[in-house]
Formats: sequence, C-alpha cells, structure tokens
Amino acid sequence: MTMMTQLHHIFAAPMPPASRGNEDGGVVNVGTNAQLRAERRVPPMLTGVVLSIWALTAFGCLQGGQESASPSTVLVFKHGKLSGDETVLPSLLHEFEQRHPGLIVREELLPSSSDQQHQYYAMNLDGGKAPFDLLAIDTVWVQEFAKAGWVGRLDDIVPMGEQGAFFPSAIEAATFEGRLYAVPWYIDAGMLYYRQDLLDRYGLTAPSTWDDLVHAATLIVNAEQDRQLSGFVWQGKQYEGLICTTLDVLRSYGTDLWTGDLDQAERGLQFLRDTISTYNISPPSTSMADEESTRQIFGAGRAVFMRNWPYAWPLLQRQGSPVRGKIGMVPLPSVPGHTGAPVLGGWLLAVAEKSPRRQMAGELIRFLTSPETQRLIAVKLGYNPTRRALYSDAPVLEARPELTALYPTLLQSQPRPVTPSYILLSQAAQPEVSALVVGRKTPREVLNAVRRQADRYANGDESPVIGARQ
Amino acid sequence: MSHLSERAWGYLLAAPAFVLLGFVALAPIGAAVWLSLYRRMPVFGIDEFIGAANYVQLWSDDRFWAACRVTLYFTTLSITAELVLGFGMALLLDRLTSQPGRSSQWGQVMILLPWAVPTVVSAQIWLWLYQPDYGLLNYLLLQVGLINAPIDWLADPDWAIHAAVVMDVWKTTPFAALLLLAGLKALPQDLYAAAKVDGAGPWERFRRITLPLLMPIIVIVLVFRTMDAVRVFDAVFVLTGGGPGNTTETLSIYAYKTLFQTLQFGYGSALATAMFIIVAGLTALYLFLLRRHFEDGV
Repeated sequence: MTMMTQLHHIFAAPMPPASRGNEDGGVVNVGTNAQLRAERRVPPMLTGVVLSIWALTAFGCLQGGQESASPSTVLVFKHGKLSGDETVLPSLLHEFEQRHPGLIVREELLPSSSDQQHQYYAMNLDGGKAPFDLLAIDTVWVQEFAKAGWVGRLDDIVPMGEQGAFFPSAIEAATFEGRLYAVPWYIDAGMLYYRQDLLDRYGLTAPSTWDDLVHAATLIVNAEQDRQLSGFVWQGKQYEGLICTTLDVLRSYGTDLWTGDLDQAERGLQFLRDTISTYNISPPSTSMADEESTRQIFGAGRAVFMRNWPYAWPLLQRQGSPVRGKIGMVPLPSVPGHTGAPVLGGWLLAVAEKSPRRQMAGELIRFLTSPETQRLIAVKLGYNPTRRALYSDAPVLEARPELTALYPTLLQSQPRPVTPSYILLSQAAQPEVSALVVGRKTPREVLNAVRRQADRYANGDESPVIGARQ
Repeated sequence: MSHLSERAWGYLLAAPAFVLLGFVALAPIGAAVWLSLYRRMPVFGIDEFIGAANYVQLWSDDRFWAACRVTLYFTTLSITAELVLGFGMALLLDRLTSQPGRSSQWGQVMILLPWAVPTVVSAQIWLWLYQPDYGLLNYLLLQVGLINAPIDWLADPDWAIHAAVVMDVWKTTPFAALLLLAGLKALPQDLYAAAKVDGAGPWERFRRITLPLLMPIIVIVLVFRTMDAVRVFDAVFVLTGGGPGNTTETLSIYAYKTLFQTLQFGYGSALATAMFIIVAGLTALYLFLLRRHFEDGV
C-alpha cells in the first residue's frame, strides 16, 4: 500500500483502525457534546497515526532497499515498446527470474515517442531516487546521462577486453571519460532502400553515388508516367530524424554539420535542397516527412528510393506488403572519392545510478546483451544485434539474410557528436536545416548559424541557449 | 466572536479560498519566476543565481522574438475568427433553442461537439484531413475545383501556421458560442419589443441593443480565448512540431523544448515567465478597454 492510499483511508474512514485501542477513541457518532470534544481531540490522534505510518513506510523502504535475492526483490525495467512478437521479451525476463530465485523483473513501458522517453527519464533521474533500476536509452543520451550522474558505470559488466565484441561506434557512443556507462542492446544505421523491380525494368543497378541516384530516379519517374511516384523519399521534418539524414549526406560528402570542410558541407546541404527544388525527385511533403510516413509511401510502392533505418525492412517484406520481394537495401550513396559514414542509431541498456539494486540490474544487462539473447532478439523480433560475431552466425543469417548486407554499413557507422551537449546542438540545428529544406535559408546561412553554436561549446561557454543570438 | 466587524468576518470566511488560490496559482507562478533568476542545468551540474541575466539573454534571442511573432499572429487570427463565427453560431443557437423540440437539442449538441474532443485527438484527426495525397480537405477542394493540384498544408512554410489556426478555430469556436449564447439568453426582451415599436430593423436592433449589452460577455470570451491562444501548445505541436523551418514554433513550444528537451530550467522558466507577462498584459488591456467602454457608455 502506498503512502497516499494509507492517508486516504485515514481521512475517509470515520475511525482509523489504528486508534481502536485508544481510551475513549470511538466517539464519532455519539451525541453532539461528545462529538465536539472528540473533534478537539482528533488532531493529536491523527498526528500519531500519521507519524506511525510515516515510520512504518520509512522502515518498509529501508527493507526494500536492501540488496538481496529475498522474495521481495523487484527489479523495475523501463523501456519503450519493442515491435514484433510481444511474448519474446517477457519470456526472456522470466528465464532470468528462474535463474535468480526470489527475483521479480517488472517491465514498465514508456510512450513510443523518444522525446517523451527522454523527458520522463530526465524528470525522474534528476535528484533523488528514480522509480526504476534499469533503463533503455537512445545512443545520443548516454553522454548526457553519464555527465549528469544519472546512470552508473558498467565496466564490470563489459570489461575493456570484451568491448571489441561489439560494434566500435556503439562502444564509442557509450563511453564517457574513458568509462562504459551503457551496453549496446540493438543497433541501427541509415540505409538506402530501392525498388529492384523498377531498376531492373530500365536496366539500372543500385546507385553508389548521389549522381547515379538522381539519374536513376529521374529516368524512372519520367518513364513510368505515374504522378503518384516519387524518386527519393527521406526524413525532412523538423526533428531529430532530419539531423540524421543531413549527417548521412554530409558525411558522404566527406564533411560534417558542426565541423569539417565548409565548402563540401555547403554542397551537401545544397544537394538536400536540390532533391526537392531542382531535381524534383523528392516531394515537397518531405519537409513534414518522418520515418513512418516515408515507410508508408515507399511501402505503398510510391517511391523508387528511400533513406530509412533497417527497422523498415521486415515490415516492407512481410506478407501482404505491396513491395514484398521487390526491394533491396544498400549503403547510402556517396560522392566519388569519399566513403560515407552512416549515422549510428540504436538503443542501449543502462543502470540508474541511485538504484539500490545496481548489482542485479547489471546482471540483467549482461543477460540481455549476451550472444544467446541477442541471437533470439535478432531472429524473433528483427532487431539488429550489437555483437559482431552474430553477423556470421548461421541460425541468425538463415532467418535474417539481409544482415549480411547490413554488416559493412554498421561497421562503418559513426555516432552523432559524442558530447553531453548533443541535444542542445541538435535542437539548435533542427530549425536551421528545416528552413533549408523549405528553401527559407541558404546552405551558407545554415552553416554559419550551426557552426557558431558549435564554437561556443568548443570555447567552453557553458550557458547554452538553443535560440540563435543576434 | 460577535465583536468582529463584518469586514473582518468576510476576510476570515474567505481565508480558506485565498489560501487555496495561493497554493494552486500563486505558488507555482512565484516558483517559476524565482527559477528564472537562476542558471540551472542539472546535466552540467550548473545551479547558480544570476539575477536578470536570463532576461537579458531573452532580449537578444532571435528565436524568442520569432516565437512571439508566431504566437501573436496565431492568437490574432484565431480569436478574431472564433469571435465572429462564434457570434453567428450563438445567434443561430438562440433561434433554435427558442423553439422547443428535439431538433434544437441536436443542433446544440452537434455544434458543441468539437469542443468536447480532446485537443490531441482532434489534432490527429486534422493531421489526416490535411494529408496532401489522401486527405479529405484536398479531395474536396479538388472536386469543387478551388485548387488544381493538391496542397501540402503542413509542409509548406506559408500554409502551416494557417492550417493550425483553422484547426484551433474549428475546435474552440463552440466555446465562444456557448458563452455568447448564455449572454444572449439573459438579454431583456422588452428592449427589443420597444425598439420594434420605434421602428428599428433587425440590424439596428443588433447594433444598438445586442452588441452593447453583450460587450462584457465579449470581453470575457476574448480574455479566455486570448489566454488559451497565447499558450497554445498541443494543437500546433501535434500538427507540425514547430516546423517547417520554425514557422509554427509558438512560445509554448519553444519553452517546452528549452525546459523538457534541452533541460535548461532557468532559461525555460524565463521564457514561461515572459509568456505569463504577455498574457497578463493583454488581459489588463481588455479589462481597461471594457471599463472605458462602460464609463463612456453610461
């Protein structure tokens, strides 16, 4: 029973059960005089009851707080909903419970929007004890959470010597000041999806440069005479996904958004805008497009190319999908002379720093990121394992043949800027790049604003404001 | 006890209400204002008193001024439309309800329905209506022949804010209509009878009787709607998230991103305080105008 319900019972009931033994305590429904007297006497009585409950609750907290596998140990695991078969994760957690008698793992789901998850974690981890022990976090939050002291170190769970088993970019994103603060759970990188049937019809192959992509998209869209068909759909809405697409493109130009060659960056940004305004291969609705809306356009057979995460693959290939068996997936194109480095995505597992059950939570992370569990999640849920060895594992490849194509891309992937200020950087860049997408700002203006922001952090200015200064 | 004056008794009896108001309204506002004098960023372990520095920074923050412009543009457009349409709706409802019958009740229910739908849900409905290829809005406009090609309502930086205004007007006009209807019902009928005897036409009666007598209600509608419109968040956030190119970022959305996404609690509180000052200023202006209206009119 929580504190609130206990108090509620006291105030709702005419006579609290705890006071039954008191001398002339039962008075409430007697005569008026008695009632008056009783009312005057109520405060001390109530105070006593409340105090004793306070004491009891506090004692209860202490009891629950002790690290042991006694029957009362409950491990709370917060995460966003996984797609696919809903019984897979609970059965895994059940298996873990059976290995640790007396332990109960309670899954608590967060809203699917990652912004809302970030907000929930920040509000609950900031100061005091969070109501959970284990949490799933986005790659771009690890630095922030580690800097704030919200998540604990996990070097004992995956020591330095074992970290090579994971993808290096994921480990880089999870390492803060030389220490590991989260263990990669599943991994993503931006990919180019294409329509194999349409390319075949015109004797084309999957593009490896942006020029090839523009050429193929233009040719196919013109030849097909289908007003509904778009050449290339990508995420251009003002949100985190826009930054991912932009970084994918800029890195394929051999530069970056916040650092790197300025002229190349200008060309890269101009290319993004040109897909809509010059080449007409991307629809104007791109400025509101996110992962799901692009997947739906491509999935309905209304686009030749799409930039998206690997999560879309099983959804596009499932029974009844109009593009089933007609699609392919390759690394994103790049500019001749440069090898692209797609943006790393994915989720990691971390332990709340203030959790009294850190030891046990660490054990659960070890279990959830073990080769066996990773294999099961890859096969049954379609998530991409973070352990490299599984990409040459026969049972995994039998169920997920596309992982062979994914492996080199994942190996090449690079995290977004690995800094606790990342959310600030991204939030400041989103409106700028979005203004570029709709043609309200030139690449030069966008880069000036974005790089000025980055310089301020580099110069140690710790009063970041996401708004632009005059 | 009876030696207390009536005034003292009044204060005594109203004290619980004052205390409640203090806890519910004043304490959080005070806390936000206090926080706005700090630089507080828990991620970086920063928590220091900096006086008015946040407000100085606010003054030179382009994004803040852009959000102010978007918010005031949204507010002006939406409350003007809501007042005009709401007035029309109220007059219509007044007619309907003066004739008893089932149809009049249905009419009222239908008109009030949008107000009853949660904003997030109605924004989601409008998201589908605005969808450029499959959306109902483009389909209807194309059928009628008003447009030649589908319009990307939310993806176009010129249309997006107007799309949000239309949704807000659809949703909150019933609220304005409801208040105005209550005002109409309370108007003394003998004035209209006298005006008729004097030969005043319907327009003359509306202009000389209905409008002036309804003025206090109109001001109440304006105050309520302005407070809501300046703070608008979910209606716009669900539709556009503030984009494209920040053209729909209202003060609330900027404050939300500052407070809850980038976790700058001090600066975010300064933004929230600025918003509070704007609402309070507009409300004071309305009340001042109302008072002057009465002083002039009587």
